[in-house]
Amino acid sequence: MAISVKVMNRPEPEDTSYLRAALSGMALTFRHLVNPSKVTQQYPEEPTDLSPRWRGTHRMEVHADGRPKCVACGLCPTVCPANCIRLVGGEDDQGNRYPIVYEIDEFRCIFCGMCQEVCPVEAIHVGQHFENAEYTRSRFVYDLDRLMEQDHPTTLLWDPSDPSSE
Amino acid sequence: MAELVTLTIDGQEVSVPRGTTILEAAKKIGKQVPHYCYHPGMSSPAMCRLCLVEVEGAPKSMPSCVTAVTEDQIVHTESKQAVGNREGVLEFYLVNHPLDCPICDMSGECDLQDYVHAEGRAHGRSEEPKRVFGRDDFGGDVLFYGDRCVMCTRCVRFMNEVEQDERLTVVERGNRSVIDTFFEEGLEGTHWHGNIIDICPVGALVSKEFLYKARAWDLEHTPSICPSCSQGCNIELHTRDNLIQRIKPRENLEVNGWWMCDYGRHNHGWMNRGIRLEDPLVRTLDGAAGPMRWRDALEQLLQHVGVMGEGRVKAVATPFASNEDLGTLAELVGTLGGGDMVYRSVRVEEEVVLKGFPTLARRKDLAPNTNGAELIGFTRVGDDQAAGGLEDIAKHDGIVIIMGDELSDQAEDFGQEAGLFVYLGDQQSPAASNAHFVFPLTTFAEQEGSFTNIARRVQRFSPALEPSSMARPAWLILGALAAELNNGDAPRSAADAFSGLARRVEAFAGLTYQDIGIRGAVVNETYVLSES
Repeated sequence: MAISVKVMNRPEPEDTSYLRAALSGMALTFRHLVNPSKVTQQYPEEPTDLSPRWRGTHRMEVHADGRPKCVACGLCPTVCPANCIRLVGGEDDQGNRYPIVYEIDEFRCIFCGMCQEVCPVEAIHVGQHFENAEYTRSRFVYDLDRLMEQDHPTTLLWDPSDPSSE
Repeated sequence: MAELVTLTIDGQEVSVPRGTTILEAAKKIGKQVPHYCYHPGMSSPAMCRLCLVEVEGAPKSMPSCVTAVTEDQIVHTESKQAVGNREGVLEFYLVNHPLDCPICDMSGECDLQDYVHAEGRAHGRSEEPKRVFGRDDFGGDVLFYGDRCVMCTRCVRFMNEVEQDERLTVVERGNRSVIDTFFEEGLEGTHWHGNIIDICPVGALVSKEFLYKARAWDLEHTPSICPSCSQGCNIELHTRDNLIQRIKPRENLEVNGWWMCDYGRHNHGWMNRGIRLEDPLVRTLDGAAGPMRWRDALEQLLQHVGVMGEGRVKAVATPFASNEDLGTLAELVGTLGGGDMVYRSVRVEEEVVLKGFPTLARRKDLAPNTNGAELIGFTRVGDDQAAGGLEDIAKHDGIVIIMGDELSDQAEDFGQEAGLFVYLGDQQSPAASNAHFVFPLTTFAEQEGSFTNIARRVQRFSPALEPSSMARPAWLILGALAAELNNGDAPRSAADAFSGLARRVEAFAGLTYQDIGIRGAVVNETYVLSES
């Protein structure tokens, strides 16, 4: 195969000059200086808006008399892909099925929201909440009392006006 | 041999003996016709109307559980007529069913759930309020949820036909009909009522003991043999979190049919006992027992035996031990120069016979393997409370080996004069404080093995639980010791230990784990014949 040489032309000076781009950038900067549009959020002084479908740490709904709504059916530990829910069912003094132990390890949780989706009595919910700092790891295993104390809004897994996300 | 009848079910030809029902014939080709009231162990009233199938030439659908097959019959179980019938019947069942699956113990193993999921309507059309019965305590271990009941009357028929102690009946009529007990008598005092919980196809009858304990799909099922008497009922151990949660009978027509007694069903607390012997303990010269690795402990024991030399051995075993454990203990005793081998067991006054299945009873002997122990050469000592009978062993100055017997009736100076005292067990025993060697054993639920039942049927059981820490099966420990002493091969598996037993003990000759299989096998016939 014969060797050939391809001759490349040098670019013209007007194509290589950065001056035009630099000037248009400076123009944008000055425009914002005169007419600022806010992008930065002043978190944590100002709370952020979360999407209604944000899936954060859990909460357990309670009845009016303070009992958890959970009936210990065992569907959430069954469906949980991260295996982070520990449930021991039992019978309360009125003969109802209720959770003796209900623990969620929020560190193992992947916040898929399937526990909320599968719950037949709408007891366990993922919440619109993400500020979870603690001093020890063990505090991230939320027990039943802790889950019932949570008061953040719960997640809407789907938009009621558009349930199939169309 | 009965005359064979050939018929066609869903396009598949099948030949069955005359008199067989269509449902049984369909079962033979792997077609399960949905049913509630039919149970192979009881009569069929054909009242659930779920097993109706289309029979060509018949004016209407026929209940397959009571319709006998005829020559050249053509049956459709999946036709529009049959499926439509099931859909309609299931819709009726759900008219009053509370659909409380989330809190129902049967959920996950419920026939109504399965059938409705497979063939029922997606939505009910009933608008009327459901009738409500609430729950009723039937006594014994049984709770009754009337709303969930599908009125198959299996429980009523079990009590009437199989247990033959009429305790349940149907009261009221129409949609008010409900199962009830007579007056306040309930099921208290009956010995087989746990079976009505098993045969209930829905969650109407549930066990109080198991109530809300575990979900059906969380339980692991391990085939096993009931250790509570010498009948040797075939059972399944249902486990979760390394604990036995409940015991269910396993079908074996040669032994227990479909049933088991309540005593055996509830006698599983001891398998879950937490406080156990953890490590091999070896007593040093100053008298204190300290933990040691298995290898070191066994080496020390062999040295000890070497110093002692051969002498008369006295061995006490428990009839809760498997054939393999007893066999290797016998081999070790033989290797050490022979001696006395005894066992102690609890006996009760009366058998509790299941009248409708008379070959099944809660036997007098409350240990699973007394027959195995007898065949291997152990003799029974002590009284019916498994106490006493060890006077000469307590003062024996040779080798004393205790396997599994907790010596709960013995004083603390038991074995004080023994030259070598080896205690193998799963629990620490005060009477074993003089033992030179204490070895932790696995329990029956943690190891593989076999029992020989009252009819000399050898039946295998499988391990259901993880063994506790350093515990090992007795055949492994004793087999290794015997192999060191007689330069033989140590058994590597329970099957190995059993084949060793089959070589040494005539009654087991020729049997292998494969022969025994899942259904069990009777010990060597020539042995049984020669004895009688």
